[in-house]
Amino acid sequence: MYSLLLLNGGVGARVAAGQPKQLIKVKGIPILVYSLVAADAVPEIDQIVLNYPEGWRDEVEKVVTDYAIKTPVTYVPAGTSRHESVARMLEHVTNDDVVIHESARPLVETADFARLVASEHRNVSLMLEIPFTVAPVEPESRRVTGYLERSTLRNVQLPQKFSRADLEDAHAFARREDRLFTEDATLVAVAGHDVRFVDGSDRNIKVTTPTDVRLATYLLTGGEDDWNE
Amino acid sequence: MSKTLLVTGASKGIGLETVRRFMTNAEADVSTVLMLARASDEFTSAVEELRADNPRGVTLVPYTIDLADREAIIALVGEISREHGSVDVLVNNAGYTKPVPLQQVDFADFERTMAVNLYAPFTLVQELLHHGTQFDLVVNIASTAGMNGRSGWLTYSASKAAMINMSEVMREELAIYGTRVVCISPGRTATALRRVLAPEEDPSTIMQPEHVAAVIEMLASPVGRYVDSRNLVVRQ
Repeated sequence: MYSLLLLNGGVGARVAAGQPKQLIKVKGIPILVYSLVAADAVPEIDQIVLNYPEGWRDEVEKVVTDYAIKTPVTYVPAGTSRHESVARMLEHVTNDDVVIHESARPLVETADFARLVASEHRNVSLMLEIPFTVAPVEPESRRVTGYLERSTLRNVQLPQKFSRADLEDAHAFARREDRLFTEDATLVAVAGHDVRFVDGSDRNIKVTTPTDVRLATYLLTGGEDDWNE
Repeated sequence: MSKTLLVTGASKGIGLETVRRFMTNAEADVSTVLMLARASDEFTSAVEELRADNPRGVTLVPYTIDLADREAIIALVGEISREHGSVDVLVNNAGYTKPVPLQQVDFADFERTMAVNLYAPFTLVQELLHHGTQFDLVVNIASTAGMNGRSGWLTYSASKAAMINMSEVMREELAIYGTRVVCISPGRTATALRRVLAPEEDPSTIMQPEHVAAVIEMLASPVGRYVDSRNLVVRQ
């Protein structure tokens, strides 16, 4: 069985000033709800560890209650960094395997979690091919320094799953080496563990800007009508 | 999987015909029917009649309730959730009207109209969600009288207009569960409520409750998911 670490603690003003960005709404529904409902329907997930920005516990708990989330939820205050948040959440995990997701990706589907859980490997991330070219550069001099073969690059998405021991070891490695990682798949890999990927979906966008909110709303409102109909 | 169907206003008219159709339709796979209506001899005999001809052995559970009583609905949903678990198909059919011109509207009666026609469907859906139900299908019965105002029917028209709008919101919000929400607006149908609205009309000349029930049955069938209508008008 799996524990879901649902990252919900980042406080950012990029979407709605004054509110933590994860308590913003998409289609009039708190963005957190989408991930909770999708994960709640996955039988292999029997614990949700949910973090909350300081001062927002009551609101977050009310969302969980109002939407009748059946999976037991453990509430943990957010850390000051992603590393600290994950470390704090890991202390409350009851399973040997964890799934990590972030509420800022409301288009995640139950099938995404199910595909991840079904993988034979223990450390797996959803990843997506990159349909455009990225270049390595020197930002200060604005000099292009080479070429990256895009067939060997992937856009890292969430959700991801890890062996709890490997994830804990990787976070200890990052502390020892004093390195900061923005997500866990590359961290666990760099720390020396085997990490695999399964193909994600380009719908599973991360909502960070007002334009993202509008795009997510469009996608969630059945914005897939075929113009040829 | 055997499904649970809840129908309000199940003692007569469209509600009773809907129950009848789901009882005989093996494909719909309904094994439990929760019938809500006010207490009446009519309700008692309807249940007896259904039980006497029940070849599929469907469990019929009648509940007497006045849907204007919100506290009673909340208590009943608690009882239903404990005894029957989730509701798969909900048909919000019960309706009330006392058609009078604006100058003669008794405000308490307007409140009762809104309570039965709008707040009761809302409360049933909200309370069932709070108890963990994730519906397959919610059918809200509105009316063509809710699509434009009808002189002399202010309270009824207003309540049904709100029902049409509320259904659109439900449809969007419950998409997170994969729930389909359909709003049906029947035109003139030979029901007891229609007799209140148009007492001089010959009921045999207009649409019958079983016709609307057949549409509800179709919506609950596999082909129903291809009927993409925010407000399905059913009329002669």
